[in-house]
Amino acid sequence: MVDDLRKYLNHLIEKVNGLHCILITDREGVPVVRSVTEKAPQLALRPNFISTFGMATDQASKLGLGRNKTIISMYSSYQVIQMNKLPLVITFIGSDNCNTGHILALESQIEPYLQDLGTIVAEAHKDM
Amino acid sequence: MEKELDKVVEEIMLTPKVTGCIFADHQGLCLAAKGTAHVDSAGILVAISEQACKLQPNLKPPTIYLESDDKMCLIQRHGTITGGIFKHKE
Repeated sequence: MVDDLRKYLNHLIEKVNGLHCILITDREGVPVVRSVTEKAPQLALRPNFISTFGMATDQASKLGLGRNKTIISMYSSYQVIQMNKLPLVITFIGSDNCNTGHILALESQIEPYLQDLGTIVAEAHKDM
Repeated sequence: MEKELDKVVEEIMLTPKVTGCIFADHQGLCLAAKGTAHVDSAGILVAISEQACKLQPNLKPPTIYLESDDKMCLIQRHGTITGGIFKHKE
């Protein structure tokens, strides 16, 4: 199942110009499935970078605008788009001029695969 | 701030057979959408326009015409703004 999903993520990366990687992790940043090209910044793939989203989305949800769904971070040469699919987090890293709207549209294409993964991750956390 | 754009959108929507229209910036983020045009299609619209521009990079961006049995979609890029108009054929 994971291999199929990885292949599918590789296929999605090729479809969006400037997209360097797609990571599906748990909220601590532990990778569940990852599809990475050689252009992806290695520092941004580390769990300590990805896990900050967990805190950020919790704080953003307290702004009175409802539950936070997505955080887009624009840097000088990269953009990071993280989606709240708790217990899972999806992270997209692309170049600064990459098509943000196209990446956001990938959400609906990945979502069907997340149901089973989310259940597995939730079960694993329960056992810990 | 987007009053002018909203006015243009209203004008387009008054055109016969037009069912929806959408505008996006160069990052594929939606600026305005009305009717059958969905906000989520902004990114894909810009991606289609970018790919079409690669066919003849030295010329101005082409108008793209997508056709189905009963509907059509026109995509035109102007500077950093990309617009899409959805129409009924008949």
